[in-house]
Amino acid sequence: MKDICQSVKKKDHDPKIEGRSVYVDDYNVTASGKPILCGRLLHSPYAKARVLSVSVPELPEGYFWVDRSDIPGDNNVNIVLDDTPVFCRETVEYIGEPVGMLAGPDEKTVEELLGQVRVDYEELEPMLDLRNGTETFFNYEFGHGDIHRAFAEADKVYEEEFFTGYQDQTYLEPQGMMAEPEADGRMFVHGSLQCPYYVHGAVARAMGTGPDGVHILQDVTGGGFGGKEDFPSILGCQVAVAAKKAGQPVRCVYNRREDLEFTPKRHPALSIYKVAVKDGRVTAVDAAIRFDAGAYSTLSAVVLQRGIIAAPGVYDIPNVHVTGKAVKTNTVPCGAYRGFGAPQTFFAMEMMMDHIAQDLGEDSIEFKQRHFAKQGDMTSTQGRYHFPVPIPAMLSELDEMSDVIRKHKEYAKPQSGRYRRGIGFSAIFHGAGFTGSGERDMIKATAKLRKYADGTVEVLASNGDIGQGVRTTFPKIVAHELNIPLERVYYNHPDTARVPDSGPTVASRSLMIVGELLRRAAIKLRDIWQEGKEQEVEEHYKEPDFMIPFYLDRFEGDAYPTYAWAVSAVEVEVDTYTGLVKIPGAYGVFDVGTPVDYNIVVGQMEGGFLQGLGYASIEKMSYDGKGRIRNNSFTDYLVPTSMDVPNLVAKMHVEEYPDGPYGAKGAGELPLVAPPAAYLEAVEQALGGMHKHRLHTIPFSTEDVILELNKEAL
Amino acid sequence: MNGITFTLNGKTTCYDGSATDRLLDVLRDTYDMKSVKCGCKEGECGACAVLIDGVLVNSCCVAMGALDGHEIVTVEGYRGTARFEVLSEAFAELSAVQCGFCIPGMLLAAESVLSKNPHPTEKQVREGLSGNICRCTGYNAIVNAVLNAAKEGDGLW
Amino acid sequence: MVNGYKPTSLQEALTIRAREQVIPYAGGTDVMVKKPEGVPFLFLNDIDEIKKITEDGEYIRIGAAVTFTQALDSDLVPPLMKEAVSRIAAPAIRNAGTFGGNLGNGSDKADSVLAGFALDARVRLVSEKGERIIPFDDFCVRRGVTNLGDNELIAEILLPKATFDLPYYYKKIGGRNALAISRVAIAGTYKAEDGVLKGISVTVIGEGAFNRYRDVEAELIGKSLDEIRANADEYAKKFIGKMTFTRGRVSAEYRQTVVTNLITDYLATL
Repeated sequence: MKDICQSVKKKDHDPKIEGRSVYVDDYNVTASGKPILCGRLLHSPYAKARVLSVSVPELPEGYFWVDRSDIPGDNNVNIVLDDTPVFCRETVEYIGEPVGMLAGPDEKTVEELLGQVRVDYEELEPMLDLRNGTETFFNYEFGHGDIHRAFAEADKVYEEEFFTGYQDQTYLEPQGMMAEPEADGRMFVHGSLQCPYYVHGAVARAMGTGPDGVHILQDVTGGGFGGKEDFPSILGCQVAVAAKKAGQPVRCVYNRREDLEFTPKRHPALSIYKVAVKDGRVTAVDAAIRFDAGAYSTLSAVVLQRGIIAAPGVYDIPNVHVTGKAVKTNTVPCGAYRGFGAPQTFFAMEMMMDHIAQDLGEDSIEFKQRHFAKQGDMTSTQGRYHFPVPIPAMLSELDEMSDVIRKHKEYAKPQSGRYRRGIGFSAIFHGAGFTGSGERDMIKATAKLRKYADGTVEVLASNGDIGQGVRTTFPKIVAHELNIPLERVYYNHPDTARVPDSGPTVASRSLMIVGELLRRAAIKLRDIWQEGKEQEVEEHYKEPDFMIPFYLDRFEGDAYPTYAWAVSAVEVEVDTYTGLVKIPGAYGVFDVGTPVDYNIVVGQMEGGFLQGLGYASIEKMSYDGKGRIRNNSFTDYLVPTSMDVPNLVAKMHVEEYPDGPYGAKGAGELPLVAPPAAYLEAVEQALGGMHKHRLHTIPFSTEDVILELNKEAL
Repeated sequence: MNGITFTLNGKTTCYDGSATDRLLDVLRDTYDMKSVKCGCKEGECGACAVLIDGVLVNSCCVAMGALDGHEIVTVEGYRGTARFEVLSEAFAELSAVQCGFCIPGMLLAAESVLSKNPHPTEKQVREGLSGNICRCTGYNAIVNAVLNAAKEGDGLW
Repeated sequence: MVNGYKPTSLQEALTIRAREQVIPYAGGTDVMVKKPEGVPFLFLNDIDEIKKITEDGEYIRIGAAVTFTQALDSDLVPPLMKEAVSRIAAPAIRNAGTFGGNLGNGSDKADSVLAGFALDARVRLVSEKGERIIPFDDFCVRRGVTNLGDNELIAEILLPKATFDLPYYYKKIGGRNALAISRVAIAGTYKAEDGVLKGISVTVIGEGAFNRYRDVEAELIGKSLDEIRANADEYAKKFIGKMTFTRGRVSAEYRQTVVTNLITDYLATL
């Protein structure tokens, strides 16, 4: 392993473990010395309704009601499009949509007053049907080859539907933002967030101030996983509007129930696959993907793009046709969650491959192996896998750990008795960085280093540490290049007043893209280093020249410069009496390129892996016929505990990426994406295989196991 | 009327508010113990766990009146101890702290495991931490850190 | 204290209980979740008389304010009760949650109450006027409703010593391996002599209320173990025929199937 891989003590370790880190809910005082008002939102109780009138009780002094009429700028939150309002317009479009905010000094009084706000609604018929919904925010279509001919010439055509449910990010710190009017007239907004410049753009627009009228700071953030990518922009606007009206700091922290019910989560997806097979080989994939976007478009465009690009999986398939729709429903807007659309389609494609293999009487691992893409092969968007595709080697490493190849054949034999075993295998990639030309055309990242006279160096970038460790890894890269002790390089939580826009903290891009900018900046600084002088250097993103330009209108070209890879094996033991599924072993081999800090990367892999297993099994969340999410507490939305998957093993495989720092690629999202299909394949195998029980849906719970077995009895 | 008298991190304290007030809120708002985090207020995540008479309890599920005559320790009181040092070191060694929000509660859960059983098995550690949700790590690093701390801190517990 | 009373003796607690409307507070783990406003709490957590586990000739006596952790550390508590209690939530909850609270809040998913039903437990209720000892069956009316009088407090759970060493069957199915409410659970004990069943208890979580079907149990008594084992599914059906399963976090179909499987397994492995 390279030196840079050696783990160091994380820069934020001490304050966090000592309980000294200040999360947004922990502030007692503000810079202005003014007390902080507590803001609570009034949420719509209806999935679709016209707001006829709002009557606010007489408020005691110091209490404020805030709604869209108080917005100084415009009532559209800047996300990808601008259809999301800060506060509801004439109608409410989902249960939970903020109608207004009540703010005041005492939380209990605020709650009481909020209960006295009367809203007259005229209930309207909500749209709650992902399958048949006709209103779509985004419609994409792409492909290559001759799909019609492939199907016409096929020996056999397979058609199946797959469904994946909601998944909530369940960062342990709920959403929270705070706004403080400053003496110079600027609005200072800070809180639990991933992307300071996203919030900056949104708040500046809502406040009508232009970019200099606001600045945004990321506070210590208790987890994000994508959930704090778009939502803080909305909440940030709301507290800013309230603070402006009150002339005083306002903070709004969601409670867990609000957070589970009313904040973005992973898009439920219906994936309809049609696959042609000729001479034992898949010749065509035609996938129709529908994502449940919820009531506003928020991030659905980009989530859907990543999802449909992954639709044919890690395989070399000559003829491909994919359509993707982001369907509007009157439910909470879905957003970003680790994997960003890809978990849904990879799950479907992996299950599809497994089912086809079973039908052909071939072991599905061998069948998949025969289809793995190789370096130089064409991607789904007619780009290229420019670098080696290490999946075959990773499968061997996985097999050494898990014995998956032998077990997969053994468990395929008929089983009887109460407890039955299965093992599943899946292989996936994560396209590293933004999809398409986003980095080049939209983000245009800039990062800086500032060296002070005392020889310390500050990293200036806008990527937030949300637990993934960039406060440690960024300085590590810089210290390494400058050959100075790590103690002399530091990276504070970004404030847009001080740092350039190095882009958002998303897509596993921070380390690969911004880390590389910092590496180059450090080399620059090294070359001009003068003792005792304050110096600054800056670096801008440059697209690697090997890339085939990507055209979003046609989905053509290199959607990503390179790929991180993962293979996983999940073994299960199913109790056919109770439906309980034990996981005796869960194994993953991950290629994120060079791990810039081994422990940090392993921590990402293990954490993501467990989230993936949760997604596949116990994390059930859905809405009812009225559009209400009932799984809105920690009693009803279950995530894994320390006792659920004790035997989880993550190993690294290193395929260096020449344009990432020291060979690093994106890491964070990768580990979540592989386990769901491996899990469901394993459960299906334990239940006797596809011919007895053909499974299509995650999460697949203990209850689902029993209901599925009951079908056999019928 | 008398207040509620208890020991908070070694200091005798008297609370004059309502006996039905939630310990979690009082610790954060009245006594500024911000290490105590609110993750759910339903006893389902462990982020607010504290030690009461040396025993791990979720502070969201405790009313102030119950504490009369009892002793509460939060991370603010625990962080000066030799045991803390060993645990902190072990957590650091494995980069077991990610977002940090679960960590104060997790740390006290670890203390609770080791004070009951200085040489726990992995299973016992997992059991002992099972009420503390961590969404970041997948738990391996934390569990291993506690096991390492048990070795490194032999004799302390 | 404001909005609360902290008696140090049961007698004192009963006087307050008789005098005004209060919410009995033992461990706090249930009452604080949906914290009721405007009613003072009667803190029972420091009354020594109800914080002990003792025994007499007939019973193991678990005080109402005994925590689950205390029970797990005690040699007096029967293994079935320990196993059930060990699966409650997680340590921080078990350190605070009490037997009195688990029974008193009328939950239909209370793990210690399930074990109590299987162990023929009784509850000692006290008031200023005196005390009464009634079986769990009589105390638990239905979900959310108990037989606790306005002036009464739960003093002790009484577990007959006769059931202590009996072989038992226990299984809990929650949503995950810890911090999980029982979706289905089953507990039972039995007694056999010379291959003949002399006594049996079967009780489940999943019906929306705790029940014992003593008529069906009585049918089994006197039969040979071999006969019951061989026809376990038939006998299980007799229990199931009496039960009604509720829909909640899981479907009634799920509950019925699993309870059927588990009662069958229980009877087949007597």
